[in-house]
Amino acid sequence: MISIKHKFKTWGFLFIALFIILPACNKEVEQFPESTPVAPPGPSLGETIAAIPNNSLFYNLIVRSGLLPTINNKATTFTVFVPDNTAMKLFINAASGGLVPLNAPDAIFSGFISSSLPVSSAAGIVGYNIIPQLLTSAGIPSAFPNFQYATILNPAPSLSAFLRLTIFPASRNGSWVNNIPITGPDVPAANGVIHPSAFLVTPPQRYLWDRINTDAGLTYLKAAITRADSGVAATSPVSLIGALNNIGANLTVFAPTDAAFQLTLTGAIFQGLTGLPLTPANAAAHPVEYAQAVALASSTDVFTNPLLFSVLTAQTVKGIAVYHILGNRAFTNNFPTTATFYPTLLNSAVPIHPGVSLQAVFGAASAPFATTATVKGVGNATASNILIIPAPPIPAALIPEPFGNSDQHYLNGVLHKIDQVLLPL
Amino acid sequence: MRISLRYFTLFAIANILSFGSFAQIISIYGNIKNSSSNESLSAVSITIKGAISGTFTDDKGNFKVNTNKPLPVTLLVSSVGYSIQEVQVTNASDFVQVGLTPSSLLGQEIVISATRVAERILESPVSIERVSAANIRNAPAANFYDIISTLKGVDVTTSSLTFRSPTTRGFGGSGNVRFNQLVDGMDNQAPGLNFSVGAIIGLNEVDIDNIELLSGASSALYGPGGMNGTLLMTSKNPFKFQGLSFVIKEGIMHTDGSERQLSPYNNWSLRWAKKLSDKFAFKITSELIQAKDWIGTDYRDYNRSAGMLKAGTRATDPNYDGVNVMGDETTADLRQVLNGVAAAAPFLAPFISTLTTKPINVSRTGYNEQEIIDPNTLNFKVGGSFHYKISPNTEAILAGYWGTGNTIYTGASRYSIKDFKMGQYKFELNNKSWMFRAYTTQENAGQSYNLSATTQNFNEAWKPSPGANGWYAQYGQAYLSSKLAGMSDIDAHSAARSVADVGRPAIGTPQFNNLYNTIRKIPVPAGGALLDRSDLYSAEGSYNLSSFTHAVADILIGANFRRYSLNSQGTLFADYDGPITIDEVGAYIQASRELTNNLKITASARYDKNENFKGRFTPRVTAVIKVAANNNIRLSYQTAYRFPSTQMQWINLDLNSYKLIGGNKFFEKFYHFDTNPIYDREALTRSSKVQEVYKVLRPEAISSFEGGYKGLLMNSKLLLDIYGYYGLYTDFLGRKSVVQSKTGAPVVLADTLTGQVYSIPINSTAKVNTYGFGIGLDYSLPLNFSVGLNVASDNLTNVPANFITSFNSPKYKLNATFGNIGFGKGKRVGFNIVYRWQDGFYFEGDLANGNIPTVQTLDAQISYKLPKTKSLLKFGATNLLNQYYYNAVGNSFVGGLYYVSFGYNIY
Repeated sequence: MISIKHKFKTWGFLFIALFIILPACNKEVEQFPESTPVAPPGPSLGETIAAIPNNSLFYNLIVRSGLLPTINNKATTFTVFVPDNTAMKLFINAASGGLVPLNAPDAIFSGFISSSLPVSSAAGIVGYNIIPQLLTSAGIPSAFPNFQYATILNPAPSLSAFLRLTIFPASRNGSWVNNIPITGPDVPAANGVIHPSAFLVTPPQRYLWDRINTDAGLTYLKAAITRADSGVAATSPVSLIGALNNIGANLTVFAPTDAAFQLTLTGAIFQGLTGLPLTPANAAAHPVEYAQAVALASSTDVFTNPLLFSVLTAQTVKGIAVYHILGNRAFTNNFPTTATFYPTLLNSAVPIHPGVSLQAVFGAASAPFATTATVKGVGNATASNILIIPAPPIPAALIPEPFGNSDQHYLNGVLHKIDQVLLPL
Repeated sequence: MRISLRYFTLFAIANILSFGSFAQIISIYGNIKNSSSNESLSAVSITIKGAISGTFTDDKGNFKVNTNKPLPVTLLVSSVGYSIQEVQVTNASDFVQVGLTPSSLLGQEIVISATRVAERILESPVSIERVSAANIRNAPAANFYDIISTLKGVDVTTSSLTFRSPTTRGFGGSGNVRFNQLVDGMDNQAPGLNFSVGAIIGLNEVDIDNIELLSGASSALYGPGGMNGTLLMTSKNPFKFQGLSFVIKEGIMHTDGSERQLSPYNNWSLRWAKKLSDKFAFKITSELIQAKDWIGTDYRDYNRSAGMLKAGTRATDPNYDGVNVMGDETTADLRQVLNGVAAAAPFLAPFISTLTTKPINVSRTGYNEQEIIDPNTLNFKVGGSFHYKISPNTEAILAGYWGTGNTIYTGASRYSIKDFKMGQYKFELNNKSWMFRAYTTQENAGQSYNLSATTQNFNEAWKPSPGANGWYAQYGQAYLSSKLAGMSDIDAHSAARSVADVGRPAIGTPQFNNLYNTIRKIPVPAGGALLDRSDLYSAEGSYNLSSFTHAVADILIGANFRRYSLNSQGTLFADYDGPITIDEVGAYIQASRELTNNLKITASARYDKNENFKGRFTPRVTAVIKVAANNNIRLSYQTAYRFPSTQMQWINLDLNSYKLIGGNKFFEKFYHFDTNPIYDREALTRSSKVQEVYKVLRPEAISSFEGGYKGLLMNSKLLLDIYGYYGLYTDFLGRKSVVQSKTGAPVVLADTLTGQVYSIPINSTAKVNTYGFGIGLDYSLPLNFSVGLNVASDNLTNVPANFITSFNSPKYKLNATFGNIGFGKGKRVGFNIVYRWQDGFYFEGDLANGNIPTVQTLDAQISYKLPKTKSLLKFGATNLLNQYYYNAVGNSFVGGLYYVSFGYNIY
């Protein structure tokens, strides 16, 4: 009996031991650590802009636009281009048609923004200065063609929810957004980065064709393009007018002035009549043909003159026209400093064509704009000049469309007037 | 062949008709009781010494035995658990009353499966475990089948309440094709699946006579399969066990409400057996299990292509693929949509290009298994048999088992086995020296469906993934809009999902139910239904030649024929032109001889031929060395193999992203692999072209060496069983992804995405080794107390890098029991406590891979006997502490089940 008791004790202890280890529960499924997103510390973009006194007018513009809550949402990330008050004053002075003079007190400017400037305009302008991504200076590309960044501005939501105007920051030849210099280092905010800009970057309003179609100095270009498109519906994917009216396009048009076209056409017709190149000596030797050539080239009817159909075929004209167009957006500040060839739209038909040669010369660091810019066709003896006409205090490159000749910005591209027709051969 | 068959028939008839001479028959009547408790004892064997006649006591302990021997005769009265008694009868009119004295059961059990010949478990030449009806009565398990998990060296994979898949020596998994399960000699695998559908058909608790488990390789006697064990369940013979018996078990589950609300567990078993005469007896059995099933609630994120769990939730991972979340297996790269937008809106192309530098894989929104699964698990079984004694030595049996039910099974997906029906019908002739059995298994998958496929197709039916206004287009556009609004990736994804999911049918709504119920009834791949009405036909016979050959050796011969008839109407198998048949034949011979008093050698050999594979020879040699009385050392060399499963041979399933096909040569021509070759897809992704030859598969094989010891020690109070084994696996059957050009042009890198992908079965060239050991101790304490402890270890070595073995076995596992089969006044109170612990391990399955933590469970029961009616009142609990556990990734989480049961006439 004692041995039984003893055995019971032993086994009893064993089972007590068992029950002691039992409370070590079965483990639940092994979970992986989850990182919970935390709002980034520090002030938001809006708060950061508000804290910079010299940005107060743009801040007013943001408030007016209704986009302040958007950029203050720390769950989102944006890059904002912000001009200082001097730049904003220039803009307001222009936008008010000079009613707000440049020397008016700041309150007048801010008053204009918050009461006179339509909200839709403010929203368009501010939206065009906001990229829905983080883009620090280090990340701004220097390559050509320009990388186009979608902004948050949808110019026609009724057309498509995905329509966005694009903006072109570039770090080639300095630091730029479109053709406006970025003037300082990055200003970081909790949910993005701010780039100070020298002037207000305004969104384009019209299409390239709108300019070409209405510019009294580009009638030959218009006629040439119309001739190139003869027999092609505007909705056709090969229509040039269609492309120049297409918001999805991204082009640079080198637009020869009417004088340039007349000169080239006169020479071409003269040569067609005489078989000789147009030189003062040859013109003097063949006065009748010369006069005839001048007369024929004196009007844009030259492109529709049946007598010249064999010389200026639709294909030839189109070939010349597309040779003036790049398939990307090149502001003069994006041009290389050493002449470099870039393909044109002609390359889609003639892939091995070298394209056009671009070159620009830049001013001092304090005035970083291109002072001269040229584009040269393979068949041209000399490069064509982009018509940059100095007009202080606003740099020539910044004269707004339709008043300027270079860096004219449109919904679907940039237009530069040039003084020669570019010849592909 | 014909002549030998004729001889065999004559021989059989001669055996059947071996009646004795027509002498005068006298009948002896009597009653047997337990001498210590005075309970009447049923199923006690009464035989007459020197004669072949015998009988069993009925449920009241009464017997009647006839003999033509002149009096006096000696009755041998025996029953497991009691000392044998001899009683002399001198007068036929005397009513014989015998009191049997209980004796220790330890090591006294008789087993058959180890050599197909009855022998004491102590003398078995291979490792074997036995569960008796008494063990079942005393176990706390809610279902007798669950007791298997407490046997030494057994791993059980629990898919759901009624779908448990046991294995030994590793290679566990839901639906174990390396483990055979025989019910009264019938292989109860579902012919279309090649594994047993849990215990959905078979025996019920009150009809189980015993369960024997052969651990490890056992093809030599039981044919293909059984590489990792064979489970043999034997029912109670109606000649021996008579009367009405039933067990009503009522329980509760989900008591903590964490998975579901508290729900009842109903399990009713019934058996009625009657011996109408000395020649004729029958029985009827039935069982009903009804409960709300355990469910899989593993919502961890799964990286399906890498085959591993990863961090993430639906909220943080756009490509979330929850383990127990269905429908989110559909995934696509959002770049397809975004690039389309970029082409249409060139001004956005650069912006989009900043988003698409790497794949943006997005999965469809799934539904939790818990939400979509039919919560009711149901199992209804009915069975019966007629037994006719053609002669005292020959019994003819006509038996049928039919079962239907709902359960959950884990394969490459979670499957709802719904209204599954399976019937097994057999005719058997049993003679002392020979046996013939013919049976068929008739399977009908009913309304079973694949939860993932159904939910994926449900999603497609609600809102298609592709198309200009498809789910991905909506998602992609919304994602892009959000990105254009400066949102973070994760916020953009979450906004996009809420846009694409607008109108998503909510669980429980008529819209959801109608659509879901429609889809689940459409066969895969368009829906989720599995149409499978495959059948199995089998005939086998054996003859024990020992009476002729005993002087040299005891010889047993046997042969079998088996036919699978695959019938899925072209929805699962390539059976478009009617059922596909697969025939197998096999034959074996076993010879054993006691070389000395202490050494018995048994050698067996088996040859099997499947019509689609080369013949296979499996030898087995065993030795039993008697070191002392009741102490034996066993040594064995065993081989086993399995033919590729019916699915591995003939499956032909288009899973949209790839075709899952079988290994039959048929497919080579069917898919033109001979003229338009297939290439290793993984190699092709590395731009390396490796042409894959569509080879004929070889059976997977194992050779195993084992040594063990079993003996009674400490005055026969301690039963010690030890084993150690070493196995070598070859020709592992697995799958491989290959690519074929859709056009017939030479295959190129892009074909890894755009070509036709197939998953083909292959034999691996890898050889892996397994080894392990087990120790079992059973100790009889005074006053009917007993304790038991078993520990086992299974290990895998020589695994080549990146080779998935699905070994799925914890390195160590332990079971401890403490119980009493009768104490207190009248020895009526009993109890049993079972503690199980298993080590954590890395689980590799078709559904998911991942770590399984250590599991421990405590089961307990306390019971009270009502001897008058042989009834037992039992309070029991499995997983008493209600600590949810799971033993395979994706499987149900099993909690506590608490029950009270009343068993009538069960001992």
